[in-house]
Amino acid sequence: MPELELDLTVNGRRITRHVDPSYRLLDLLRDDLALTGTKEGCGAGECGTCSVFVDGKLFKSCLMPASKAQGTTIETIEGLSRPGELTPVQRAFHKTGASQCGYCIPGMVMAATSALRENPAAGIEEIKERMGGNICRCTGYTKIFEAVEIARDVIAGTLPETALNPELTKTSYIGHNTRRLDAPSKVSGRLKYAGDMEMQGMLHMQVLRSPHAHARISRIDTSKAEALPGVHCVITCDDVPGEDGFGVFVHDQPIMARGKVRHVGEAVAAVAADTVRIAREATKLIAVEYEPLPGLYDPEEALRPGAPVIHDYAADNVVKHIPLRKGDIETGFAAAELIIEERFSTQQVEHAYLEPEAGIAYVDHDDVVTVISPSQNITHHRHMLSTIIDKPINKVRFIMSPVGGGFGGKEDMIYQGMLALSAMKSGRPVRLVFTREESIMASAKRHPSRTSYRMGLTKEGRITAVEFSMLSDGGAYGMSSEGVMRKAAILSCGPYEVENIKVDTTVVYTNNTPSGAFRTFGGMQAQFATESMMDMAAEKLGLDPFEIRRRNMMKAGSRTHTQQTLNSASIDRVLEAAETASRWEAGPPNVRGANRSDLDGPDTRQPCTLGARFNEARHQIEKAKVAS
Amino acid sequence: MLTCDTYLMPTSLKEALEAWAAAPKGSRLVAGATDILPWAREGRGGDVHLPSMIDLSRVTELCGYEVQGDRVRLNANVVYQVFLEDKTLIRLLPNMPYCAAWFADDQIRQQATLVGNIVNASPAGDGIPPVLTLNGEIELARLDHGAVASRRMPVSDFITGPGRTEMAPGEIATAVILDAMEGYGGSFQKVGLRRSLVISAVCCTALIKTGDDGRIIEDVRLALGGIGPRPIRLRDIEEMLRGRQMTSELVAEASLKPAEMVASRSRVEYRRAVTSGFVEAAIEDALVTLGAPKPEPDQRETLHA
Repeated sequence: MPELELDLTVNGRRITRHVDPSYRLLDLLRDDLALTGTKEGCGAGECGTCSVFVDGKLFKSCLMPASKAQGTTIETIEGLSRPGELTPVQRAFHKTGASQCGYCIPGMVMAATSALRENPAAGIEEIKERMGGNICRCTGYTKIFEAVEIARDVIAGTLPETALNPELTKTSYIGHNTRRLDAPSKVSGRLKYAGDMEMQGMLHMQVLRSPHAHARISRIDTSKAEALPGVHCVITCDDVPGEDGFGVFVHDQPIMARGKVRHVGEAVAAVAADTVRIAREATKLIAVEYEPLPGLYDPEEALRPGAPVIHDYAADNVVKHIPLRKGDIETGFAAAELIIEERFSTQQVEHAYLEPEAGIAYVDHDDVVTVISPSQNITHHRHMLSTIIDKPINKVRFIMSPVGGGFGGKEDMIYQGMLALSAMKSGRPVRLVFTREESIMASAKRHPSRTSYRMGLTKEGRITAVEFSMLSDGGAYGMSSEGVMRKAAILSCGPYEVENIKVDTTVVYTNNTPSGAFRTFGGMQAQFATESMMDMAAEKLGLDPFEIRRRNMMKAGSRTHTQQTLNSASIDRVLEAAETASRWEAGPPNVRGANRSDLDGPDTRQPCTLGARFNEARHQIEKAKVAS
Repeated sequence: MLTCDTYLMPTSLKEALEAWAAAPKGSRLVAGATDILPWAREGRGGDVHLPSMIDLSRVTELCGYEVQGDRVRLNANVVYQVFLEDKTLIRLLPNMPYCAAWFADDQIRQQATLVGNIVNASPAGDGIPPVLTLNGEIELARLDHGAVASRRMPVSDFITGPGRTEMAPGEIATAVILDAMEGYGGSFQKVGLRRSLVISAVCCTALIKTGDDGRIIEDVRLALGGIGPRPIRLRDIEEMLRGRQMTSELVAEASLKPAEMVASRSRVEYRRAVTSGFVEAAIEDALVTLGAPKPEPDQRETLHA
């Protein structure tokens, strides 16, 4: 392959390199120069984790062919300050706690630095716009913008440098802002995530995934892939030495498809090779013969008699049914003066953490199979892998690398097993880094749900009975479904004391992308239904929405839906805080006047606009006119 | 994943045309390259291998711009960020800064070119509606018996459909030539799923010139994007408004008809509703840049009630 000769200056040092003409600037920085503070979150210019300065202007290095950098001067996160030192922007990020998972942070620091270099007096709206190309999933941006404003004022000299110092704490940390210990490593780009790590002799893995939602695998021929120069090994389910199967509650998922595939994107085979490009080429040489099977894409269809069966052990396609009973709903509904019935549905949601799944596995000098990955559940993974690879637990080790955002999406062992098998087969360290598309295709999602709700109330708004039935789409594998159903059931009727309840949560197998853990773990789906019911009840009964909640809320001494007696409850304080903060205008939702004083207040989020820099420029001109 | 065997960076137009003529079948020209890298990924182009990529960003003749009487010649390497920063262009192309503010983000605007956006010919290409209002002509160069020859055609004729243009094999787009519109007010409206980095569901742009009293519409130019196979100029609406006394009723009237021109394959009702609002807002915002007071949102609502 012809090579490109590049000559450029990176962080003050002259660099000459011969590289693959297909290289992007990002590849040159990360793979050849080991400047891994620059991250790859999407590879498509959407996320901004790869932002670097090229001749003083900020660019997305994933969108820049490396040739374009010929003769330029590059500055990366590593070049902003000398080792051990931090710039005011980085110190401000540390101060406000702007870094959480930290994966977007080097890009955010670069974008903030660029915004303040372009306009040292930029107002908050202009700062937001200039940083619009960078995404964060942890912070909601508030702490990041707070940090940029502090940095701006410190640089301008309108705030003393001491504003960057930690807040003083006396005898207790409670009630004080305490700084994160790991923030300096994140704001400086020094923290190594799994995809940033390299080992001597390390191979690169790529995965062949199913194009079918439900199909029998009649044959897998890996011979051509294995013969490709640069390929060290190809693995399939046949390489599993022990008892295959993982999952958080039920071990129903093989390391790679065994006998059949159950969703689009399921791993079928994997290749470890000298480079990502060779491994990718090799996956295309693997011949897989599929016999398509009828698919199930709707949870209600999964329950119909005669529906296709996804897993042999569950002929009815039910992963888990959680029933919950308290009191007697017949009595409760008989006492009701109003009965409301409604149906609710929620959709599948992707976690979209900025760090795509990544990991390295190796077999160490004592034959310990070691997997480094941002797993949210390493102990459980270790136990499962020991059974799968048939090794005693003391020969299996999991190391948790920094998690660049998880939100529940990294609880499932969807790729660590493949890494372990290929490290065992090739005798070399093997690294796998998902593409963003692969992450979306192969990782679990929030459970889509359908809830039928029946609520009985007195005229005064006291709930007398609830009948709650939720059906969730668990997708192709069990993963965390059972726990999510338990949580949905436990939280079903919200923080309200109800004497008579009948709750059923059910999750079924389909051929959709598996559902798994996701922040609230089933709670959100249930609360969406319950809180909507409360508002509808308030409207029908002519009650204030806060008032109807207060009449039903749990207090100290209340019995929960699972019949636990509470020592304390805080819903009263939550309601009060929400009522005050929203400047709530008391009254039923449907009988208030056209002009509501609680709308459009000072904290209301304004509609999306752009052009703050024009408005600010105009403002400056007008100010200058007034001054003269 | 995008791979190529060779990546060429010619420095003169002749060299670029020669490289392009000699390039193996399946090779590609790139300027900013901000479209091709996201395209060569799973779910879109998949893994793409190109024999050769010819990068035009260092071709001297394609850099910079030139004011030529009442026209502005933007060479092919002019990137979007320039429309936000170059004082001459802000003065002469009054709707381009507003378009640029909504285009991708500050970083991609440093690399993405207006001419690349035109050649890409996306139905939702943000730069195309403003170019239509600026009576843009595209210049295409080719090799003719070893010498550089060129032709020009209106951008409205050049783009023939989604991703389709009149570009002939061996040609390179070298410039777009626009009307200089000093003294006009300009605006750009866009809606997508988020603020930065989003493909337009609908976009709309306006250029307006008023009489000395600020009441009579001397000239107006309007164009829409994202509403059909290619962006369109609203010449009949312009005709209806030209020479008329500016009133909010007139603007509201002008905003109704463009909704009928929505010919998208999806979300037609939504796009129709947005289109009417956008035409009205584009006219109003362009007038605001000329010094008119900004109408309050509830004023608009009252008018339509």
